[in-house]
Amino acid sequence: MTRREFMDELNALLSALPDKERLDILADYTEHFLLGMKQGKTEYEIAEGLGSPKLVARELLAGYRIDQAQSNASVGNMTRAIVATISLGFFNLVFVLGPFLGLVGILMGLYAMTAALLVAPVGIFLDYGIPAPSQERLFLLFSSMVSVGLGGMFAIGLLRLTKWLYRQFLRYLQFNVKMIRGK
Amino acid sequence: MNVQFKKGVLELCVLVLTAKQDRYGYELVASISEKFHISEGTVYPLLRRLTQEGFFTTYLAESQEGPPRKYYQLTNRGRQYMNDLVLEWRIFNRGVNEIIEEGLGYDKA
Repeated sequence: MTRREFMDELNALLSALPDKERLDILADYTEHFLLGMKQGKTEYEIAEGLGSPKLVARELLAGYRIDQAQSNASVGNMTRAIVATISLGFFNLVFVLGPFLGLVGILMGLYAMTAALLVAPVGIFLDYGIPAPSQERLFLLFSSMVSVGLGGMFAIGLLRLTKWLYRQFLRYLQFNVKMIRGK
Repeated sequence: MNVQFKKGVLELCVLVLTAKQDRYGYELVASISEKFHISEGTVYPLLRRLTQEGFFTTYLAESQEGPPRKYYQLTNRGRQYMNDLVLEWRIFNRGVNEIIEEGLGYDKA
């Protein structure tokens, strides 16, 4: 592999990274080639020593994806971080995807319950007809207030829980990458 | 030699090599390659990660000959981390050697 070929392949593999980051990485390898050539090595020998651009790119991408998911939280970034971590090995398929899907399931259940509490009064009113019989009005009013109040509290708690879990899971991913990297 | 195991050792090596003076990437790669075989390309991602984790700071310096070089300087946190790793390594190393000696006997080198 010539210097050109090595650099082109690495550049293509890192296309997902922001330009600044990508160019910075490429500069490190360019420097490596130039210094190697000063030592009298051929491009071919240097590329041989560096090993496969694929291996290099895989290491770089996994680290980067997790950083990104941390700095701006989103479902898409989290997904990309997970995919990058899983690509580091089959072992991770079990240890990353399993817990993640489990957590998502639990969260969805909790969200469904909260939504049910919030819309329950609608059901209560429909049940009794509008306007409701007068002796039922107070009961209806209070039960609606309790239901909506509980739903609201759950909703606030859940949003916090979701954010917290997001952060924890990223930390787990980081730990995972370190394990896979053999620390 | 096992790849994962080597990665951990590699981290220890780059940290120790920068303990007494700042080094540039090529120099680090060359020093390690002299001692045992590595895929040299993986040293740079490692340096990047250690820099992101705050164990190194980097700066560019012109040189008399050739291109400017990116130097890696160990931070205080990095030094602390290095000391932890060295200690861990020494305990590990001693343990493995004892097992080898007990298993194969002292008569074999």
